[in-house]
Amino acid sequence: MSDTAVEVRRRIRELLVDVFGGPSFVSTVHDAVSLREAGVPSTALVALLVAMEDAFGFEWADDVRPEVLRSIDSLAGHVVALRG
Amino acid sequence: MTAEPAVLRNAAPEMSMGTSPVPPPHGPAEQFAAGRRAAAAALAAAGSIERTVPRARDGRPLFPRGFTGSISHTDRLAVAVVAPGAEAVGVDIEPATITSRTAAFILRERERRLLLAPAGPYTARDLFAAKEAAFKAMNCLGTLGEFLFWQIRLSRSGGALTAAYGGESVPVWIRPEADHSFAVAIRR
Repeated sequence: MSDTAVEVRRRIRELLVDVFGGPSFVSTVHDAVSLREAGVPSTALVALLVAMEDAFGFEWADDVRPEVLRSIDSLAGHVVALRG
Repeated sequence: MTAEPAVLRNAAPEMSMGTSPVPPPHGPAEQFAAGRRAAAAALAAAGSIERTVPRARDGRPLFPRGFTGSISHTDRLAVAVVAPGAEAVGVDIEPATITSRTAAFILRERERRLLLAPAGPYTARDLFAAKEAAFKAMNCLGTLGEFLFWQIRLSRSGGALTAAYGGESVPVWIRPEADHSFAVAIRR
């Protein structure tokens, strides 16, 4: 796992904490688990995606595939891939 | 099981609704149990003898055959809708404040221009709930593959709201309230 991927995951977790207003829930969510199945509501997921646009300097495509948004791992993988 | 709040009655035709408060500590277990109580109430109102709603492997609620239904909850209230004989049902109750940035993310330019207040009749929270309800109903069809709720397009004709994606469509009814927006999509 590259330093970049580790850093992106850490930043996504920080953004998720901001969305939820505290770390207690986010600390229980593993990198690979489905955010929806972990209990992240749609409003929080969208807020996270918006925050990621600001934090990482990109815009989500209209036709983004659902699997990209599944987990912290998949979100981080998308950001790392964009950075080439 | 609790009585259906007056504010939620007649949100859509030919449907039965049940609600149940989520007791403290308002966590996932309490929300899940309240959702099943709401579903039992909706099934009873719809005339179903079977009133248990197990969970499918993918997490979706399995309503009794012939009593198509859907469940939604906040951390304080669970609501369920049953539409006997319907092909698909989706319900959403949305308490969150939707920021303008989030609205811009989930709504296309045409939706913002024609549907969103002040030009249109709906708040961003109403339209968020409408897309979520439509997503649940359209996802039940099993013919659209994987998609995201905000990829659904909303349009209004003659006062009726329609959600469309991938060549499929479903009518949506919205009931805005002070502290939440309620939406239900029923495809017959």
